[in-house]
Amino acid sequence: MAAAEHPVLSNVTFIDPTPPPDDVPKVDEIGATSAPLKSVAFFIGAYCKEYNEDFMLCKNENNDPAHCLKEGRKVTRCAIDLLRKVREHCDSEFEAHWQCLDRNNQEYRHCRGLERKFNSCVFNALNLEKVIPGSPSNKPPIHLKEKPLYKERPRW
Amino acid sequence: MDADKTLRTQDLPRTGGFPSVRYKRNLPKKGPSGLVLFTVLGAISVYGFYRVGQGNLEKRELRREHLWSRIHLIPLLTAELDRDTYRRNCAALTREAEIMKDVPGWKVGESVYNTKRYVGPTQIVVPEQS
Repeated sequence: MAAAEHPVLSNVTFIDPTPPPDDVPKVDEIGATSAPLKSVAFFIGAYCKEYNEDFMLCKNENNDPAHCLKEGRKVTRCAIDLLRKVREHCDSEFEAHWQCLDRNNQEYRHCRGLERKFNSCVFNALNLEKVIPGSPSNKPPIHLKEKPLYKERPRW
Repeated sequence: MDADKTLRTQDLPRTGGFPSVRYKRNLPKKGPSGLVLFTVLGAISVYGFYRVGQGNLEKRELRREHLWSRIHLIPLLTAELDRDTYRRNCAALTREAEIMKDVPGWKVGESVYNTKRYVGPTQIVVPEQS
């Protein structure tokens, strides 16, 4: 009897294939893995600011998953829209940057050169800028630092 | 006894005196003095600590960058997880209604907690893949 044993010890796959109820509008999931998401994270933050804040305020109001489905769909649609635009305008830079992140432990500091190319491309095409909130205003932000002490050491 | 008288003179150093005794080691002087060594090593240490400080400041900024990249992704990932949780919860309620349909007075999906605040499920029942 499979239910009596611990799920970790079981060879059976536990999966719930039931589709969502029909009254919930369908939305595509983002479908991107962690490295592309980390690559565009700051642009998602800039491009989808209203939707993200709306969603988080809604979650703060009530943590029930059913409560913020509408706001959540907007968040996902916005992120998909941004990814599509990035793919359209800066495909090669984006590809190079997220693959570099993927190879280098997903640390930004190993991919600064590619990141600058990607950022400037996104800035020219979509007018989105990478801003790190809370960083000291009297110094250039870390992604624009000329001679970082923690040097760029890309794996390959 | 007369001879004794003539020889009785005071015991004095030899004429010209004794040569001075060489008590210092005759070693060649090598290396800078202790003060110089101390100063130089101190300067190296101060520079090293300065670099450590700069590195710590830079590390803080790298950490901040990393954290904000995660913060910007939280709504997206939470929204996706919420949709999946909602879907699985609906399916679980349907299953529960089917199983408990013969029990009179059974409320499907009734919370065991006396609160309006959302409390996530402590146990998730997932069917086996058929």
